[in-house]
Amino acid sequence: MIRAMTAVLRKFVCMLGLLLALASGEATAQGLKIGITLHPYYSFVANIAGDQAEVIPLIDAEANPHGYTPQPDDMIRMTSMDVLVVNGIGHDAWAFEILDAAGVRDSVELIYANDGVSLIPVAGDNSGEKIVNPHTFISTTAAIQQVYLIARRLGELDPGNADLFRNNARQYALEIRRLRAEFDSQVVGADLSRFVAATMHSGYDYILQELGLQVSAVIEPRHGVEPTARQMADTIDRINLANVNVLFAEKYFASRLSDTIQEATGVEMYSISHISSGAYTAEKFVAEMRENLNTLAQAIRDVAGKPR
Amino acid sequence: MSSTTIDLVRPAGSRYEGLVLLAIALIFAGGVALYVDDSGSGELETIYEWQVSAFNSLTGADQAIYNSLYTVKDEIPYIYDDINYFNAPGEKFRWPNLQDFQDYLLPPFLQDTSWEQNGSLKWSLYEPLPEGEMQGSTMYLGTDGALPGQGSFLLVIGHVHAGFYNSNSIVVWWNEANHAEMPESGFRDSLILQGWREVVAYSGDQEVERIYGE
Repeated sequence: MIRAMTAVLRKFVCMLGLLLALASGEATAQGLKIGITLHPYYSFVANIAGDQAEVIPLIDAEANPHGYTPQPDDMIRMTSMDVLVVNGIGHDAWAFEILDAAGVRDSVELIYANDGVSLIPVAGDNSGEKIVNPHTFISTTAAIQQVYLIARRLGELDPGNADLFRNNARQYALEIRRLRAEFDSQVVGADLSRFVAATMHSGYDYILQELGLQVSAVIEPRHGVEPTARQMADTIDRINLANVNVLFAEKYFASRLSDTIQEATGVEMYSISHISSGAYTAEKFVAEMRENLNTLAQAIRDVAGKPR
Repeated sequence: MSSTTIDLVRPAGSRYEGLVLLAIALIFAGGVALYVDDSGSGELETIYEWQVSAFNSLTGADQAIYNSLYTVKDEIPYIYDDINYFNAPGEKFRWPNLQDFQDYLLPPFLQDTSWEQNGSLKWSLYEPLPEGEMQGSTMYLGTDGALPGQGSFLLVIGHVHAGFYNSNSIVVWWNEANHAEMPESGFRDSLILQGWREVVAYSGDQEVERIYGE
């Protein structure tokens, strides 16, 4: 009974919030109110728009975007947005549920950040199918493609600021490119001939491919779907056969599988950020990609430094 | 002691039970197959014979090079504006050269560790003739990659004023030959005859259409 009353009360509060948000007319205030679904998009939009727009995260900072269940507060936030930037290719399907639940599917402009990205398949999937990899935001080149597209689309929605958005996008793209230059300064001259990598999941395919570091095995090719015992045994065999010496695992979302793999194969494990946790900030993407690239450089140096 | 006789009594519709069961099994199997098929990959991508899919056909390093060129398509016009901004009156406008790309840290031209890992393609630039004469397209050729089975790349910038295209266009071509010579022109038909194929991206808008049908 109490549970039922609580549910009714929660719905009432949610509806009240929706009505208040609509009545306040926030969406028509000066400057675009730009919603985002994932942490990297917060950084992209904040750097493109500067102080000419308000950036609104759709879900709480600590919420895990993998398999996220929409909350009443999300609908309230959604009604305050003019435009929403989405990944759109599989990493934030819940955003569309929220759009529908809030009844604003037709009134909120959508920017599909990956419209201008050349997609790659998930690496290491032995099913024979080529599955689209949605992790375009853990990258440099694919990230820049998204930054340019978002800037163009925002310029169309706010023509008065189009030049500003384009110039900011260029500056930000250069900042991202400098990350690659920093990485290069750490590995220049290193012997990469023995560097053979496996990853816990497909989240790092874009950045590894951009750097010319190929992935020999992926433990969880389909993100969030744990392998069966047989698949796990096959993967361990592949890791041993390919002489894999580095395993990249997720920094924030722990998996017991990575420990199992490490114990069974003896590979060195390194943690890469999925850039999907913690406070939303303009600096977050560059800061965490810098950390990721430092980790990759460290792994390369460690392998190169080992005796043959 | 009495003997027991067993009579097998078949239901009136027994002849059809097997068929009904088979039909149900087929319907179930069909449903499962359709469900699995729905989770497939980029089936919406349709390309011409003279094109090649970056997603389906290019291998790791060539895919990485193409994706860098795909971004360069966005950036070249900006760099063009930068380098010609302070031109003196009458000074010829030019497209970025290979040194400009180094200064702008632009892959796949930037000669860093990633460039080495992706096959160390040798890049060269074909510059069109001066204004007023019959011009060709501006072309950047990347060839002689060090990786086994690696192809060659050609980035072609078509110019409206050169009479080659109806609109300014930047197109990426791929040739399965490891070594390729700089073509004499950027005409599509001519390139196709020389073994070049236009590279087509499988981009997010196609994937959104596949997933959501919008």
